[in-house]
Amino acid sequence: MNLSFLFSSGLIFAYHSNSLRTHLKLILFTYLFLFLADQETFARVLPGEIISTKEEAIAFLEKIDQPKENILWPNVKSKLFYDNLKLNLEKPGSFYPGRSTNFCAYGALSYLVMQKDPLGYVKFMNELYDKGEASFNNIHFKPSKEVMKAAGTLKFKGVLDIRHAEQMWFLVLADKFKGYLNFFDKKFHQGDENTFWAATNLGKYDRMVSKMCGTHVKAVGSDLIKPWVKDPYTYVQKRIDSNIVSLYINNRIIHKKNHDKVKFSIPTHFIILRQIRREGNLITLRYWDYGGETEMQITSRTFKKIVFGIITIDK
Amino acid sequence: MIRSLIFFSIISLLLTSCSTKIVSNNYYQEHKGTVDSIERRYEKLNPVNPFSLAYTDKKFNIVSLEMISDTLTRIYEFNINENRLADTLLKYNYDTAGIYYLVRKMKDSKVTWINSFDYYVNDRPQQLIILSIKPKTIRYIFSPPKYIALVYFRTNQYFDEKGRLLDDRRTKEVRKIKGQVFYRITDRICYTITEKYR
Repeated sequence: MNLSFLFSSGLIFAYHSNSLRTHLKLILFTYLFLFLADQETFARVLPGEIISTKEEAIAFLEKIDQPKENILWPNVKSKLFYDNLKLNLEKPGSFYPGRSTNFCAYGALSYLVMQKDPLGYVKFMNELYDKGEASFNNIHFKPSKEVMKAAGTLKFKGVLDIRHAEQMWFLVLADKFKGYLNFFDKKFHQGDENTFWAATNLGKYDRMVSKMCGTHVKAVGSDLIKPWVKDPYTYVQKRIDSNIVSLYINNRIIHKKNHDKVKFSIPTHFIILRQIRREGNLITLRYWDYGGETEMQITSRTFKKIVFGIITIDK
Repeated sequence: MIRSLIFFSIISLLLTSCSTKIVSNNYYQEHKGTVDSIERRYEKLNPVNPFSLAYTDKKFNIVSLEMISDTLTRIYEFNINENRLADTLLKYNYDTAGIYYLVRKMKDSKVTWINSFDYYVNDRPQQLIILSIKPKTIRYIFSPPKYIALVYFRTNQYFDEKGRLLDDRRTKEVRKIKGQVFYRITDRICYTITEKYR
């Protein structure tokens, strides 16, 4: 999710050319408008209730006649697909968006969907596998042929390699939901799970959560500017008991990938916050991402530095 | 306009020609003994209590320890001279002496990160060990850092005529790990040059 394209040589050159200056201003204005528009997002208000239970979903899965391989999904293995659905139901926190992909937002979304409507999820996946198209919460999904061909082929992504239902789910979500980060890369090509094709900005994440979970979503923050709240810790702490809180963070500060001190200050990762507590200057976070929970200690200063979006979702 | 073109050309030249150069072309052969011993020790310790280690500072004083269990991954950063590191390892039943050996050896040989990855062949799980080294480099102002990443497989792998790691013998498809193409050192060990250590 780096923004290097904005600073590419083409734009630097354009800035020095009088005839193109107006266009550059227009592009910058559009860009600023897009991220500032995310500053405070109120999604449509829908009843935030549990729609179905895990037990209902397991009972449904046990009853259905699991089909053999389906030519609509040439690389999805039926056994791996249904084993994966069963795992998703038994361990809803096991969704794994894969190593080095841009699927983290869809991973966080999966966690929320499984809290609200596991039966809806398993019915949707079954129909999608069977017919190649299906609806979830009144949203119709008809994935492209390229996506249908890619499901089941993702490799070297850790356990996602053998989770064919999750591969299908993440690819289909990325194919359906688009934000401005996907503007230049809308059509899936091999390897696009790691590129801007799969990237998610804050506004897109809010829309996805609101539509898929049918719940009220309130977000503060944006894609470039940190939340306009006095103390992010207090803000989060007040909401975590009565809501589900998701954070949009700059993971490169806490999960360094090189030794350079100067880093782009941009968010890169979505997590579901499970617990937060402060002792002195240290904040202990416990969050869900990548199929499991992580506990981490950071200073209050680092916490302020990494948080770009605080998304409050009705339980 | 001409001034702009000259300015743009200079910037482009600076960005493209001054890429970081690794001083030694033969890092693995020169440090084979130490690097292999780090991998062997990690391979012995990791299955008992899974973990990964990373040096997150340039001076190799701050270590990030990830302690991985079925239910929770704990990530803590320590100065290697702090008692907290030993206390934490003891608290969570890690082999303190074994991990201190790794911490020291990694610092001495500039190994920045060690971890294990699961991957699948014919839907069966396999494991590899990956470690990154911060070599001596000549680095220019806008150039990115460079690291050497080494991957240790447990079984022999397939490579094409250019020495690139392949998915398997039949497909001849180049296998990328973390988006990188890897090259043969031995049938079981391969390397790449990367801008990120993990």
